[in-house]
Amino acid sequence: MTSEAATADAHEPKEGEEHDHGHGHDHPKYLAHHFDTPAQQFDAAKIGMWAFLVQELLFFSGIFVAYGIFRSWYPEMFSAASHQLNRLMGAGNTIVLLFSSLTAALAVRSAQLGQKKHTSTFILITILCAFTFLVVKYFEYHHKFEAGLLPGQYFHPDHHHLVAGSPELPANSHIFYSLYFMATGIHGVHVAVGIGVFIWIWRRNERGDFSKDYYTGVDLTALYWHLVDLVWIYLFPLLYLID
Amino acid sequence: MSSSSEHAEQHHETDGGESDDGMVHSHISSLKLYVGIFLALIFFTVVTVAVSYVHLGSLNLAVAIIIASIKASLVVTFFMHLKYDNKFNSLMFVCGLLFIGVFFAYTLNDTDRRQNELNDVQGNKVYLGEVNDKQAPGGFEPKAEPAHSGSMGEEHKDEKAAPHH
Repeated sequence: MTSEAATADAHEPKEGEEHDHGHGHDHPKYLAHHFDTPAQQFDAAKIGMWAFLVQELLFFSGIFVAYGIFRSWYPEMFSAASHQLNRLMGAGNTIVLLFSSLTAALAVRSAQLGQKKHTSTFILITILCAFTFLVVKYFEYHHKFEAGLLPGQYFHPDHHHLVAGSPELPANSHIFYSLYFMATGIHGVHVAVGIGVFIWIWRRNERGDFSKDYYTGVDLTALYWHLVDLVWIYLFPLLYLID
Repeated sequence: MSSSSEHAEQHHETDGGESDDGMVHSHISSLKLYVGIFLALIFFTVVTVAVSYVHLGSLNLAVAIIIASIKASLVVTFFMHLKYDNKFNSLMFVCGLLFIGVFFAYTLNDTDRRQNELNDVQGNKVYLGEVNDKQAPGGFEPKAEPAHSGSMGEEHKDEKAAPHH
């Protein structure tokens, strides 16, 4: 208790003396007192974020391993079942997500350069793309529900709604749609979370929390967004582009 | 936007790395690089869609995964800044991929052998083709004989054997 108080006291005057470094930057309000320097704080945040992202990859790998198992068992079923997915919507959504990744990267770049207005604009474009992605996903899901292409016991294909001229669906096609809904559903939840976090970061940016010396929030959120993009880069060919 | 950003970039680049003033000096990539990476990603997306219409048999999956991996590495290297970042972050990322590889290798090494090898060698009946609501795919019917372990096993054996006689 006493030692903690002592270190806190020791740090107090140091923060006030920031001008003495002679770099002309602002008094770093953003520097938490348990970090020595902004660089150290930034590196720590980045390492923490990467640990989280690696965990996310391992989390998603479960669904990819399940996909690998079932596809190697039932290759023909996967081919037949994937014909019911709309390639155009899938490809369109891929481009939307890739573009949103670009704007997320540009938001970080603007933040690094201290261009607050540009940062806000790029964040808003990214959020707009995320919403577009979810709207397209909604129309895709709507078709799957109408056609009865649902997971497990809910699988009841309705021939009026199936894609014309597509191959016959084998009885075990429900496995494909279980994987499809699980994979795109979890991914969709990540997109929705991304929208929420970006709205928060946009507000913080508008409030003036960030500068070219401190933009950790923008950087880490963009990293998360790129990961969401990364997962989709694999999901798109694996689900939509099977033969 | 361009003139002011160019200036700031130069300032950062000459400043970055060498001076240890404790401030954050990240590498700032040019607008050109980001747009270039984006166009490359779009290009590879078009390629992967085009290739899916060409019948290459089992090669189709391999090609799709290779193209996706090229796209992923572009995103990780440039959009996620791993190229200019603390190398420890790259190490964590690569370790994650390694463990995903272990996950795939060990699991598929089991599941891909079930129908052929395990059926023949161990005499287990594996549900693969005939999937219904009671038989989970990949599950298997345990062998009829119970395990011999102590007195409990012995009792079981008697119970099972009884109806036959």
